[in-house]
Amino acid sequence: MRSPPPIAGTQTRPGIASAEAGLVLLDGPDGIAVTMTAYAASETGKSLIEAAQRAEHWTEPEV
Amino acid sequence: MFTDRFLKGRRGVQLGAEERAVLEGAISEVRTIDARATIVSAGDPLSNSTLLIDGFMCRYLDDREGMRQLVAVQVPGDFVDLHAYPLKTLDHDVATLTAATVAIVPHRALDGINATMPELTRKLWFSTLLDAAIHRAWLFRLGRLDAVGRVAHFLSETNARLLPVGLSDGSRFALGITQNDIAEICGITNVHANRVLRQLREEGLCVFRSSLVDILDVRGLARRGQFNPDYLYIDADMPPSSNESQAS
Repeated sequence: MRSPPPIAGTQTRPGIASAEAGLVLLDGPDGIAVTMTAYAASETGKSLIEAAQRAEHWTEPEV
Repeated sequence: MFTDRFLKGRRGVQLGAEERAVLEGAISEVRTIDARATIVSAGDPLSNSTLLIDGFMCRYLDDREGMRQLVAVQVPGDFVDLHAYPLKTLDHDVATLTAATVAIVPHRALDGINATMPELTRKLWFSTLLDAAIHRAWLFRLGRLDAVGRVAHFLSETNARLLPVGLSDGSRFALGITQNDIAEICGITNVHANRVLRQLREEGLCVFRSSLVDILDVRGLARRGQFNPDYLYIDADMPPSSNESQAS
């Protein structure tokens, strides 16, 4: 599997999630600062994992 | 004098005695306004501009759900809506954050300055360009920084803005706004702001309590917020504590 071409601004460090007052806070990567309900965070997490799996299996289209 | 803080400590734009007298003479009225009062609504036709003498004001936009995003905070000495002079209406609302004292300057008086005093006109223009520079810094803050960085940047910036007008000793100042205001400035929720302020305190960078800000580590806070005060065009002759705000 080949890595995708580097794109400026792509984050290589993960954001950090924490729980506060019954909500989920997501800090980073840079530019990200979001508060979510537990449901929204859970569904976002699932979506992120699914997208990450698709990205990991990305292959460059043949020309 | 009502204009004492206008452009005070800014590079190359100190008002001369005649200029100050003319600007004082342009004031038609001085008003005190309660906290949390909207003084200009978007789209209102305007024939005056407002010089903030004392207190804190903001410019803001509401989203479709009524959630407020502060797009500027004005500190004493700021000409809050000088851009209304050429625009005649604003695209955002203007409100007080704290009780405030303002000087009203009719646009017809600004017409007179514009026609007869080009150097004072340049200095007025400078003040609107300073607003634009601050807007660019706010874009950077929201686009590139995490929650802790955004709050650190805002508090470092406010400290640097209040120092020239004598309202910060270089690390401590009364801000007069709430944690929720900080959230609306930094594009985060109140819960997030609460956690960030606690984190800044635990890291020994800054304490925000009862609307009083005590920056424990000026350089450290600036570094955390990637804050560099160059965009504020502060005179190099200001006290050293202002220069300590530079990120390294």
